Amino acid sequence: MQRKTLSWQTTLAVSGLLLVFSAQAHEIEKHMKDAENPNCAAMKNIDIAKMDPDDPVTQAIMQKCMNELHADELTPDISRGDQPEAAKKDAAKRP
Amino acid sequence: MAAPKFLSCIKCLVVALGVAIAASVAFIYSGLYPMGVDDRHTALTYWALETLRERSISRASADIEVPSDLDTPERLLAGGADYNDMCAGCHLQPGKAENDFTLGLYPAPPNLTRQIQGSDNLESWAQRRFWIIKYGIKASGMPAWGPGHNDERIWNMVAFLQRLPDLSSEQYQILSARGAAESSHH
Repeated sequence: MQRKTLSWQTTLAVSGLLLVFSAQAHEIEKHMKDAENPNCAAMKNIDIAKMDPDDPVTQAIMQKCMNELHADELTPDISRGDQPEAAKKDAAKRP
Repeated sequence: MAAPKFLSCIKCLVVALGVAIAASVAFIYSGLYPMGVDDRHTALTYWALETLRERSISRASADIEVPSDLDTPERLLAGGADYNDMCAGCHLQPGKAENDFTLGLYPAPPNLTRQIQGSDNLESWAQRRFWIIKYGIKASGMPAWGPGHNDERIWNMVAFLQRLPDLSSEQYQILSARGAAESSHH
């Protein structure tokens, strides 16, 4: 009888732990362990000049690959500090 | 004279209803229903289930307020990484047409890299996507991500989904990678 009670307690404890782990599974920090790096080199085969600098996708790629892609490769205006309006707003939002 | 006839009609209906319920319960317990994915729904069942799902989601999501800043690079980057970790396995990514999940799940999960259907009403589309991600869909394989993710994180995924059909596989990889770029110029 005591053994049966113990077995139930163990089952409950293990289930509780699994529940806690599953709840934490999608914390961003947990994902960072296996984080893949962006392959910014792939963008060098693309004519970046044809990309719209006001497009959030272009701006996101630029943010992500700032070190890989020189700003002047993305758009000459940005390299002169003449950022598009959307980029200025985004920069203002950042701390 | 008319009253006894009416009563016997009601009795008949009650008996018929009882028999129908008993037959349904017997069928459920019999194990005769083919539960395997290989046995597809009839067109009528599929229509009924799909209509039930679509109407339910439309009604439930109608009052959700869509943020005005969905189209920002920050949201794309945050949502892209989550999409890659949580959704791409079933809903695919640019350059991939199918995988084991899309082949094996029934109904097949929608390919979210394809152009948005009904894009004439983006607000309604965003409301529905947000609701589906947050609450999931019963018996479809679509989990509810709400319990482990706050609304802001779910909106980031909606923002990414909005632009996903436009992305090349190279752009997708960059936007969905959580890590930082390694500089080759320093």
